[in-house]
Amino acid sequence: MSDPQAIRVENLGRVYKIRAVKKGEARERVALTDVNLDVPRGELFGLLGPNGAGKTTLIKILTTLLAPTTGRALVAGYDVARQAPEVRPRINMVSGGESSGYGLLTVRENLWMFGQFYGLDTQTTHARIDALLEIVGLADRAHTKTSDLSTGLRQKMNIVRGFLTDPEVVFLDEPTLGLDVGASRDIRRFVRQWMAERAGRTVLLTTHYMAEADELCDRVAIINAGRVLACDTPANLKRRLQREALFKLETSPLVNGALTTFQTLPGVRKVLHAPHDGFSALDLSLEADSALSGVIGALTAHNASIISLQKREPTLEDVFVDVVGMSMTEAEKHGD
Amino acid sequence: MTTLVNTRPPDRGWRLFLRTIVARAYPRVVGQQREKAWIFFETFLPFLATVGYIYVYRAMQAPEDYIGFVVMGGAMTAFWLNVMWSMASQLYWEKESGNLALYVMAPNSLMAILLGMALGGMFATTLRAVIITVLGSLLFGIQFQVSSYLQLLVVFVLTMTALYGLGMLLASLFLLWGREAWQISVALQEPIYFLSGFYFPIRSFGFAIAMSASIVPLTLGMDAMRQLVFATGPALGFLPVQVEVAVLLVLAVGFVAAARFWLSYMERRAIEEGTLTDRRR
Amino acid sequence: MLNTLRRSFVPAAWLGWQIESNWTDPFLFLVFSVVKPVASVLILVFMYQAVSRAGADAPIYAYIYLGNAFYIYVGAVMAGASYSILDDRERYRSLKYIYIAPVSIPIYLFGRAVARFITGTIAVVITLGAGALFFRVPFNPLTVDWPLFLGALALGIVCLTFMGVLIGTWTMTLRTEPWFVGDAVAAALYLFSGAIFPLTVLPSFLQPIGFALPLTYWLELLRRAVLGPGAAAFPTLAAFSNGQLFGILGGITVVFGLVAFLGYRYFDQVARDNGMIDAQSNF
Ligand SMILES: Nc1ncnc2c1ncn2[C@@H]1O[C@H](COP(=O)(O)OP(=O)(O)OP(=O)(O)O)[C@@H](O)[C@H]1O
Ligand SMILES: [Mg+2]
Repeated sequence: MSDPQAIRVENLGRVYKIRAVKKGEARERVALTDVNLDVPRGELFGLLGPNGAGKTTLIKILTTLLAPTTGRALVAGYDVARQAPEVRPRINMVSGGESSGYGLLTVRENLWMFGQFYGLDTQTTHARIDALLEIVGLADRAHTKTSDLSTGLRQKMNIVRGFLTDPEVVFLDEPTLGLDVGASRDIRRFVRQWMAERAGRTVLLTTHYMAEADELCDRVAIINAGRVLACDTPANLKRRLQREALFKLETSPLVNGALTTFQTLPGVRKVLHAPHDGFSALDLSLEADSALSGVIGALTAHNASIISLQKREPTLEDVFVDVVGMSMTEAEKHGD
Repeated sequence: MTTLVNTRPPDRGWRLFLRTIVARAYPRVVGQQREKAWIFFETFLPFLATVGYIYVYRAMQAPEDYIGFVVMGGAMTAFWLNVMWSMASQLYWEKESGNLALYVMAPNSLMAILLGMALGGMFATTLRAVIITVLGSLLFGIQFQVSSYLQLLVVFVLTMTALYGLGMLLASLFLLWGREAWQISVALQEPIYFLSGFYFPIRSFGFAIAMSASIVPLTLGMDAMRQLVFATGPALGFLPVQVEVAVLLVLAVGFVAAARFWLSYMERRAIEEGTLTDRRR
Repeated sequence: MLNTLRRSFVPAAWLGWQIESNWTDPFLFLVFSVVKPVASVLILVFMYQAVSRAGADAPIYAYIYLGNAFYIYVGAVMAGASYSILDDRERYRSLKYIYIAPVSIPIYLFGRAVARFITGTIAVVITLGAGALFFRVPFNPLTVDWPLFLGALALGIVCLTFMGVLIGTWTMTLRTEPWFVGDAVAAALYLFSGAIFPLTVLPSFLQPIGFALPLTYWLELLRRAVLGPGAAAFPTLAAFSNGQLFGILGGITVVFGLVAFLGYRYFDQVARDNGMIDAQSNF
């Protein structure tokens, strides 16, 4: 209770040993390298990164399911590797796309069972189940067998399971994976409401939806290939890019050669090109508005006509491109 | 969300242990209640299998007490199968379905989870044992001659304690391995029937093999029970019952202690190697 | 027909073999494949030694040993079929994909049985070898009537596979821990098939069940092929010639083929009605 930091991660590293399928292949995979993070109590902290970045690995370490290879991690003031029995009663976890419990039990029965594993008395458990099911809109399904729930409803039950034990720190690993817009919004709203009502409770959430991190999190760490590349509030992260001028440009179809010309123009930082059916979309990152005239000049030289031009505010997506050096989609292709 | 506020602090220690057992037994009990097909597979068919062994002895013109041995052995298979399938191998499915990680992450003890699984299946197990015993005794006119009910109870309790300890040792394998551990369980089933003398007195083994087979708690447990229950039992027994009780006591304490140690050792190893959440689908 | 075979049987046989064997190295795999059947033979050997005054020369000894050795196939194929369904449904969650593929489930199960047949054969060979070398079983490869043996074996395996298909498709409809459905059925049929004691030992009202089972005739034929005239020491089927036994076995095989087909049609309907194709029965 005394530690003001809900989570402390110091020089954390994790290497997986893997069974070599072919001789001579790498037998180790580095999942995390020298990760440092502090999450104060009461914060909703986001981990943002592409597939294979190491998000789940970090969560497994923090939830005492995986030992760090190097460094250490404290949750609620206790070392996750050495003081797991102290950590476990204080935490809970929900992973997206996973089913927990038993299909033949009803929603209520499954939740009750998990409550028991945390030593909750039956009365408290049922009172909390009622309250939580109500909030996520699952109250009318309390007596449905879990095997008969749709993916989204099952995930809502999972969320309730995670919060049922009133944990000090909750880990949400892609909690909105595979959910439609409405269900994702419900879950985000629930998390925010819980944070607002339960002062001092902490949530660490992983996602690869930029908008989700932006909308929900007090602070965000961008993680790629096992390294934390940036960590700040979404606003601060975006502010770093405010020195740049960002434009969205649609033109008649461009040949690839044109792109290389743009990149060498003075004042152009980065150009992302997405060819579409019948037009090309360009994402321009310029040092200043004035550099735009050069781009337009070059377009005319390539006989391309401008369909639309729009100045826009930086998003976390831009931050990601800035710190990682490529877009999320490209990073995922790189990943595994 | 005011209801979230704790009315009283959550249980820890032995209270949590008991809660966990009950909670994990619950889905088993509910499952067996909702799907009744198991009654046929877990009582009727095993009963027929036991009768098969009875007729083998008939064909060999064995003394009548041997038929009693078969009935007892057939009944005891229920407990061995409960340990193997309801408890140890079940961890494999818990791992595959993602529940194992949740169980380990919670503040409860894994031992309680395992006991819950076993206990949840205990109704089916007991039913199987009782049906084989009662039907077998009635149909084949088995003569029991119990020399001491107290000793019988002591032997049974010690045997079961040691057996479930052994099952937990087996279960710990599943923390590190998946398919491999599953195959080990499957492969152990019949050899244990054989080595523990489910259907014949282990005296036939000769001293050295019988002694080695005694590491499996069922071996001495059943030998002692045969001696206590049947007229010719003592003559066919391996060691005096008192000695067997003493060994069983050591086995019971030993296996439970070993299970405790191994479960936490294997949990630590599994956390280091990252196999708790492994799935090889 | 040929297409179905290519699509269902060949991949299933390959897949079955992979699933059976790929979890460890060949040596351990071999050990694990034979330890279970060999232990069940040893149980009977020691039961016999514990009570018999006659010793290994009595005809009942060879009867029991051989019957049990060949019964390994029954356990392997029946258990194999129910495990295949469960492996696919619960372990790999792939039954639904097989179901929607242009694959015939019965033939797929036939294919999966091949792997079990191979491991079963290894176990049978080891059991027979051990019997001849260590347990004084009168098994001599030079005096075996091989044409009779192989013919009976082949026909019996076809029939067993029909039974396996029946069990396997039945398993599809079950939710409750059906791991040992195949094992349990195989163990229960032990009682009726004359595998380990002559049918005449059974009370007369139970004997008809034995006479209706193909296993009874199959095991008798195999014993005769191995032991020659010595096999006729028990009166149960002594009145029948080898040809007659073959005829009966063939007839029952056809009947079981039909039953397996109808059973498949029925269980398939039940499984789909109850949504069991992609069920998870873990509890
Ligand atoms: N058990 C394991 N054995 C070997 N390598 C692993 C294991 N688990 C994860 N990895 C590897 O570690 C790296 C990080 O994986 P991790 O699951 O932490 O990524 P992630 O950020 O959660 O990705 P995703 O967005 O896809 O969930 C990946 O390269 C992955 O392949
Ligand atoms: Mg992940």
